This record gives sequence, structure tokens and C-alpha cells, in this order.
Amino acid sequence: MLRYSLRRIVLLLVTLWLLSLLIFSLNYWYPGDTLTNMTGIADTHSLAYQEAYVARGFNDGLMTQYGEFIRHLLSSDWGLSLVTQQPVFAEIKPLLGATIELGLLAMLLAMVLGIPLGVYAAAQQRGPIDRIIMGISLSAYSIPVFWLAQLFILLFAIKLGWSPISGQINPLYAIETQTGSILIDIWLSDSPFKSAAFYDALNHLWVPVIVLAMMPLTMLIRIMRNAVLDTLQQNYIKAARARGLSDSTIMLRHTLPNALQPVVRQLGLQFSVLMTNIVITEVIFNWPGLGSWLVKSIYERDFPVIQAGLLILASLILLVNVLVDLLHAWRYPQVRKEIDAE
Amino acid sequence: MLKQLMIASSTLVLAACGPVQTDSEVYQDGLVYCSEGNPEIFNPQLVTSGTTVDATSAQLYDRLLDYDAKQQQFVPALARGWQAFEQGQRYRFNLRENVQFHTTEWFTPTRTFNADDVLFSFQRWLNEQHPYHQVNGGRYPFFRSSGLIKLIEKVEKVDDYTVDFHLTQSDSSFLANLATDFAVVLSQEYAEQLLETGKPEQIDRLPIGTGPFEFELFRKDFVIRYSAHEGYWREQPEIKTLVYVITPNANKRMLKLVTGECDVIPYPLVDELSQLDQGAEIQVGSSVSPNVSFWAFNTQHPPFDNVLVRRALALAINRPAIIQTIYNGNARLATGMLPETSWAYSPVQQTYPYNPGKARELLAEAGYPNGFSMDIWAMPVQRAYNPNAQRMAELIQSDLAQVGVQANIVSYEWNTFRQRLVAGQHDSVLIGWVADNADPDNFFRPTLSCAAARSGNNRAQWCNPLFDQLLIDAITESDLDQRKHLYQAIEDFVMQQAPLVPIANSLRFQAHRGDIEGVELPPYGGINFRYARRVSDAPL
Repeated sequence: MLRYSLRRIVLLLVTLWLLSLLIFSLNYWYPGDTLTNMTGIADTHSLAYQEAYVARGFNDGLMTQYGEFIRHLLSSDWGLSLVTQQPVFAEIKPLLGATIELGLLAMLLAMVLGIPLGVYAAAQQRGPIDRIIMGISLSAYSIPVFWLAQLFILLFAIKLGWSPISGQINPLYAIETQTGSILIDIWLSDSPFKSAAFYDALNHLWVPVIVLAMMPLTMLIRIMRNAVLDTLQQNYIKAARARGLSDSTIMLRHTLPNALQPVVRQLGLQFSVLMTNIVITEVIFNWPGLGSWLVKSIYERDFPVIQAGLLILASLILLVNVLVDLLHAWRYPQVRKEIDAE
Repeated sequence: MLKQLMIASSTLVLAACGPVQTDSEVYQDGLVYCSEGNPEIFNPQLVTSGTTVDATSAQLYDRLLDYDAKQQQFVPALARGWQAFEQGQRYRFNLRENVQFHTTEWFTPTRTFNADDVLFSFQRWLNEQHPYHQVNGGRYPFFRSSGLIKLIEKVEKVDDYTVDFHLTQSDSSFLANLATDFAVVLSQEYAEQLLETGKPEQIDRLPIGTGPFEFELFRKDFVIRYSAHEGYWREQPEIKTLVYVITPNANKRMLKLVTGECDVIPYPLVDELSQLDQGAEIQVGSSVSPNVSFWAFNTQHPPFDNVLVRRALALAINRPAIIQTIYNGNARLATGMLPETSWAYSPVQQTYPYNPGKARELLAEAGYPNGFSMDIWAMPVQRAYNPNAQRMAELIQSDLAQVGVQANIVSYEWNTFRQRLVAGQHDSVLIGWVADNADPDNFFRPTLSCAAARSGNNRAQWCNPLFDQLLIDAITESDLDQRKHLYQAIEDFVMQQAPLVPIANSLRFQAHRGDIEGVELPPYGGINFRYARRVSDAPL
């Protein structure tokens, strides 16, 4: 396990290093002044620019500049936004909170619904319910997120009036943004209308969460169903049957724990898909998260923000993937053997 | 955290069942305005953009005097009264006493408004040596392009509540310019305090004024929040919480008005207007807005430095068709820069008719028989004068193709768009102008003078000393009939030189929920929420 973990962590570090190299190079490839792209100081005659010139090693070669780039990155000096002239790093926390809240809830919903539905479909293999579940999940899987989001807005917000169109909460509730996650912020706030605000926030949440959960949900159903069917073919299941164990015991004790193994392995991949979709969802629902921030910064050619957005989103995906891999390997030793076999 | 999420997910299902629940107390005292974009900064002195003016002028600040469009006269504001001396070369303003500045987390005023604040607010842009002059850009485009910077010789404090303005010459538009949304009064005490703490740039980002609302916070791309100013010197606003939700997408803005997420929206889509007006729960207001939309050529970029090319392009576009498609009957074909509402307006056609044949001839004469390729910059947002610049650009693109000119449509995010325009990076741009005051001078000087070319507000980057002289002649003339003649000469000059093609004068629209009253849409300047109120308890 130790060996496997070390290998994964070294791989993570190497990938992060490559990512930092790419982002460092972007500063030189973007149009305009390199130092401005890096620090967000637009006035090249200002004192701040001169100071940054020295501090960022621009009197020396590329190697020093890269070293200084990393040092500034690690000391959370990520420059200023070209548009707002506010420090970029300080803006990230609430955005990250909002993105993680949306992503986690969607993932949770996908797992809570996807795993039982997959198992149920497998148990009813080739029955009408199996066909209905698989049919629906396949068609839902084929709907692109941006279209699904528009459809849901049209249906739930405009036709039925069940939910608002966009945003995190009705802005008349003066909820101070602390973590960025709206539910936690309401909980931390001293608003006199906490429960109403909480209800309002949930009302804003459920449509984007369902939209976002759709893709991982349908994937999970299909993976789960196949995994359960595979497991049911195993000899130890036959043995259990031969011993006269009941169907439900076989399913819960012997099938499910083993069938979850490929599902856990898929979670990292699903997270990457989720993060791609979250960018689109955030833009459509005007969600104050990293995705909409990144897209907006691209429109505005705000290079320091583009870098920060790329770095955070890419690192988040890498980190989650490694964590899932480690969890997978720790939970299922046979995987470790497969990988480590020499 | 995990528990929180569990609760969240379980309640999600519950939330789906009921209609949007509302807490009447929060809704009764609050108003949501879905604005079309981010303000660049919270001080209108530094910009000319309508979005920034809407978010700042009437809400956060006051002026020395206001213009009452209904009675067509100037009314006292921070100044109780004023007199002109020395043939209009000196104006004396008597200031109001006991006017409170905002008290916020970042500033607690120790004194009320007095002459020092007026001095500071005007010296900041008048005096280049002023410690605040360069703060946050130091551009002051309105004052520069309207000529106010040159006109005011000095501002003098007579006593704590009396201020004298000395002018270099008498100018009939002086009071009109002071009454615009740009001539706001800031707090001198706050400025001093920021200078001491070494953060002068905060003056325009965490603003302090005397206006009916106090600034609370701004999250770019999401919200601006204001609360009512408790000690406001005029009648207290009825709205306690004012929120601007930034909603650049026009469709989404309309839908959010329908669902009740927005109480008031600017620039509703003209196509859907009639549909909206039918429901009693949504009302559409319009005002005759003194505006003009135009297509300006960057005369610094060849081939647009050639007047023949400019005339050819003006002849090549079918403006009546554009107006039919874009404005849906809510606009009038421009006969020149001045709209019908101006007293200097004349119905004489001072623009080019649609004549592609003639356009091709002129292009050949200019040395481009096979046409050329150019960029059309189209605004990413809706303005009163142009609800859909992108679509307009497409129409122009196809018209130009008829005369052999290949056009590419270019657009950027609104703030970036304006910055690049000021830098003169465009070939041509579809933009326009909304007058800040009733004087016809305001249609020409801020848009086409040499001073405007230097400040970047002259989208044609066009500078002609003869034209500037005409403008000066017109502004120093006091006889109304003579002035009218001079403005007609100016219109002719613009037509001859064709630095821009006037396209339309349109109505300005705004839509609001049926239970909102008193949201003013003044013909001059930005939106005003001072009198806004919610009529009944029913939030939806």
C-alpha cells in the first residue's frame, strides 16, 4: 500500500509540476506584457510594476522567473485581476465553496439514486423494469447538459413556477459570503430570516443539482448494473446459492460489496466529467462558482484570473482522482496486487 | 458539514413541491433590479457608461442642482440657490446645511456637507496637480469631452456654505452640465482619511456620498447591494434594501421578470414587449430618450481616413430595413445626430439615402473598386439606442457584401469593449450616445470634438478644428434662433465629413412588476430608485 501510495503521490506531483510549467508559459504566450499578464499590474510605468519586475526575477533569466513564479504561487500572491484590480487569491475561496457545494450535492444525489437503481435493474435483468430504467438512463445520458438545463428552466421555473431561474439565493436575504457554500453561509449568518433563507436557497439549488447529477447518475446506473451482473456470475455466488442463502442475503452480503469495486474506480473519472459540466451549469444558472468565473475571465481577457481558474480546476480534478485511486486501492487490496504485480 | 449536506439533500425533495415561498418582510422593503452589466467603478465622474451611471449617480450621490424634465427647469439640490454674475462668467452657489454623508463600516463622518466637499469634488478633475487627480485612471471623460474642464477657471470657497465658480467665458450649457449625473459631490473628509491610510483608490470602490442609498457590497458579475440612507436630507426612500442583480443576458432578464425574481429590468427585448404588456402583473414604461445610435468609423485607420470611403459605406447600408428589424417600430430613422426631442432639431434629411450603386462608384473613385475587408465592432449589451448591436452588425455585414466590402463582426465583454474602443483598436463600431442634458451641444461635443478624440469618447477618433470652431460659435451664441441655425450647419458638416452614420433615435424602455411604483426613468441620465415603492404585500 505504501509503495502504491508513494507512486500515486509522485505521479500527482509530477503532473502538478507540468501544470505549473504550462501555466507559467501561458504568461508568455498571451498577448500583451508578460509581467502584466502575471501580476495584473496594467500600468507599466508605475512603481508597483517596477517592484514586481524585480520581485518576479525579470532582471534574470527564465529559470529565475519560473522559480519566482512558483514562490509567489505558494505564498498565495497570485496577482491582481486586470478587471477589478482585486487580489485573485482572495476571490478563490468563496468561488471554490460554491462550486464544491454544487458538485458534492450532485455527486451525492447521483450515488444515492444511481447505486440502488443499478442494483435493482440488475436484479430484474431483462425484465420490463430493467428495460425502462436502462432506456431512460441511456436517453438521459444522451442529453447535453446545456440543453437539459434550459429545458429544466423552461419547465420548472417558467411553466410551473416551482423554482427560480438562476442564482444562489434571493439577494434580498442579506447573507454574507464567507465560505461560498450558500447553505453553510446561511447557517453561519446572523440573519433573522435563517429558515426562510435556507428554504429559498434550497429552492434555488435543486434544479442545478439535478441537471448536474444527470450525467454521473446515468453512468452510475449502467456501471452498477453491469458490475452486479458480473459479480453474480462469480463462483462464490454460486457457492452461496448452493448453500441455500436467500436472494437478499446474497445480494447485500456477497454481491454488493464486491460490485462496488468498479464503481469506486469510476468515481474519479465521473468527477472529471462533473467538473466539465459544472462549468456549463454555473454559467447557465449564474452560480457564483469557479466555472462561471473562469468563463467570464476568458470573455474579459483577464489573464491572471484565467490562470488561477485553470490551475484550481485542474488541481482539483487531479487531487480528487488521486484520492479516489488511493481509496480504491486501500479498500480493495486485490487491485493493489494487480497493479504491483511484477 | 456532512450533516448539513444530508439535511440539504433530504429537503431538496421537499423544496420541489411548493411554489416559491416568500418572506413578506424581506420582500416588502426590498427591490431587485436586474441590471445589464457590471459598473466599471462607483464614481460617475470617471466614466460615461450608462451602466455605471445607473448604479451610482442617483442612488449614491447628489449634485448641486437637478434638472426637472417635467417642468423643464433646474431645481435646487445640494445648492439651495444660485446667481449668475459678470455676464454669466461667475456663478455663486449657496449650499444646503445639515446634509449627512453615509455612515458605513469603512467611514464615519464627523461633519456634515460643506463647501470643502464641493471644492474637493470639482478640484479632483479640474486640477491636474490634485492628489486625487490620477487616482483610478484620471480620465474624467465627461468633463473633458463636454469642455467643462476648460470652461471652469477656478472654484472658490467664499465661506463654509458659499462657493463661487469662475468661468473662462459665458456658456449657456454650464448649469445643464452641472445638473448631469456626472457632476456628483464626494466627501472631502473621507478622501483625507483615505489619503492618510494610503488607500486613495478606495474612494471610488467603497463609495461615500450624500445620496438616498448607501453602498454595502459589490460582487462582480453577481450583485450590488445598497441599503437606505437613514439620514438622507430629502424624503427617505421607501425601499430599505436595493439590490442590483447583474444579468447580462436579455432573455434571462425578461424571464426573471416574469417569474418575479426581478422587480425592475432595463432594456427589455423590443420583440417581446407587446407580449409583456398584456399581463397586468408586468408593466412596461417608456420614455422618450434623447439618444442616437450610430456607426462610427475610426478615421485614424486607413481606408477610413478617406472621406469618400466613409460616404460610400454610409450609402451602402439600408437603414430603414435595419430599423424595421432591430427596433420593431420603436425607433425613428435618424435624420441627423439630433433627435426629434431637441429644440435644435430639423426634419431636413441630413444623412445619406440607401444607394449601393452610388456607393460602388465612390469606392472605385477612392481606389477600392474591388472593396476591402474591415471589422465592425458590435456592443455585447443592449442600450436604449440599440437593443441588439450584434444583429445590426449582421445586417450591415450583408449590405456591405453587396458593394464588395467584406465585414467581420467583433465583440468583447462590455468593459473590455469600451477600454479597447478608447484605445482606438477598432475599424468601425456600432454604438451610440444618450444625452446627459437638454442642450444640443451635448450631442456633438462629447462625441465628435477634438477634446473627445483625446479622451477616447470620440468613437470616430475624428478631430477637425473647423468643426470645433463651429461648436464654440454655437455655444457662445445666446440667441436661440441663431443657435438653431448654427446647429444645422454642424449637422451638415457631420454629413459632409461622415465620421459616423447616424442610424436611429429610439425610445428607452424599462419593465417592472405590477406592484412596483415610482421607478423613474428620466429622459436625461440614469435610473432613480428614490421614489420606488412596493404597493401591495403580494410578492408574486
